[in-house]
Amino acid sequence: MSSLSVSNAHKTNEIAVSVRDVSLTYSTTIDRRPTFKTRVKALARGKKQTRVVQALTNVNLDVEYGHVLGVIGANGAGKSSLMRCIAGILPPSQGRIEVYGSVSTLLALGVGFNPSMSGRDNVYLGGLAAGMSREEINGHFDEIASFSELGDAIDAPMRTYSSGMFARLAFSVAATVRPDILIIDEALSTGDAKFKEKSLNRVKELRSDDRALILVSHAMQTLRETCNDVVWLDKGKVISRGEPNLVIDAYQEFLQVGKSAAIDEDV
Amino acid sequence: MSTPLQVYEPFKAGLPKLGKYWKSLWSRRTFIAEHSKSELREQHFDTAFGQFWLVINPLLLSGVYFILIVIIGGKTDTTRYVHLTGTLFLFYLVSNSLSSGVKAVTSGQRLILNTAFPRIMLPLSSVVIALFKFFPTIIVFIVIKAVVGSPFSIQMLWAIPILLITTLLALGLAITISCVNVYFRDMASFLPYMTRTLLYLSPILYEASTLKPGLRILEYVNPLFPILDSWSRALVYGQNPELSSMLAGLGWATGIFFIGTYIFLSREREFAVRL
Repeated sequence: MSSLSVSNAHKTNEIAVSVRDVSLTYSTTIDRRPTFKTRVKALARGKKQTRVVQALTNVNLDVEYGHVLGVIGANGAGKSSLMRCIAGILPPSQGRIEVYGSVSTLLALGVGFNPSMSGRDNVYLGGLAAGMSREEINGHFDEIASFSELGDAIDAPMRTYSSGMFARLAFSVAATVRPDILIIDEALSTGDAKFKEKSLNRVKELRSDDRALILVSHAMQTLRETCNDVVWLDKGKVISRGEPNLVIDAYQEFLQVGKSAAIDEDV
Repeated sequence: MSTPLQVYEPFKAGLPKLGKYWKSLWSRRTFIAEHSKSELREQHFDTAFGQFWLVINPLLLSGVYFILIVIIGGKTDTTRYVHLTGTLFLFYLVSNSLSSGVKAVTSGQRLILNTAFPRIMLPLSSVVIALFKFFPTIIVFIVIKAVVGSPFSIQMLWAIPILLITTLLALGLAITISCVNVYFRDMASFLPYMTRTLLYLSPILYEASTLKPGLRILEYVNPLFPILDSWSRALVYGQNPELSSMLAGLGWATGIFFIGTYIFLSREREFAVRL
């Protein structure tokens, strides 16, 4: 695929993202759906309405152009929170994040999609949601359609798609955006084995000297193969950072799971 | 080292940088249009029957309310019907903005959690949808007016500034209520009662001039009152609206818009953890 003209020239090893002493604390409601009724009830009983979540604590991290950074950690370690901070979705409660380029996020697949519309319409919706212009999507439509391997189904409403088809189209749209900094959060394990491999290859293609990639994944083998650098987060803190094999080995030892196939095989 | 494109730092209560915010919102105008269109399509307004429904629905509504007026008020005439339809259609612009605006933020959860964009886009899109639904009713209104032989005049052009004021008011209300609904999700359940009350407090089923002196206070406490009164004067009676009503309407609309926008913008950065 040809690249979109989003990126400016960046030199390898120039800083792409700088995270300085970032902490993220937020208060969120205890109830899934906060309502006026529960608020009044809780006030009457003198109960607390919100709980405080400490998602990140003093995180320092630099990502350079030309590098692929892997982020690992157990569930709830703060990986997604950190990615959302870098993407500007969640403002940090302490510290400072500087971003030296255009950022695109692939935190979830099919963001902006409307299931009642056709795949074709959703390519536009998803592309526009990801920050592309209509002209850019027009120019890349055929590539997106052929990468998704949907054939004629592209004109069928998306609610008729299987979950694999949905994910394939969503990944194809997302993989067309070519920003300076790309953040991918566990969004690669889509579709069947063949498509998984295809999407992994696409990510490998995206590695280039003037781009920085941040890859959040539980698929250790993928990270070993793809990254130059891995950072391990636990309970919102950076435990270690460095050469992928060293960090991943330490992490697996910590988890006491060893090198089982189950954690290696998924993308 | 070059200067960073984006810096994210802790925010205290207050507004984001407005120039940057506006630029970012403007660059997403195609997305707003496409997002609104897809919502309309989801409600089938792109099909012939869907569009037919857009016209038939307000007609049926005005018919039902007309029966109500005849039964309760006794004698009536065609001007009364023209007044009813004209004001009811404009009222529905505000009411539709509210009913789709109330869930604009909460139903945009996936977008909010996974993409950085000016959140105000979501209630804005609700008002765009309400406007799309409103425009066909203007044609219905003109046809009704022509059929009953109500005269057309140059003063009817006042409808344009009045519509702009109404849109600003609808936008302000949609922005405010979409933000409130994040913190109190039952707002969506209260809303139908609120709009129904607003309907009865507005000069739609009656005319502003027939209001009892004791109820005159409604003119001052209901933001829609001066707007609907001006709308009826211009479109139904072909008169110039009163300057005081126009100014009162504009005052309400700008006030609600600015207060609502301030609340929304100072809160929107924490929506991601509240959804």
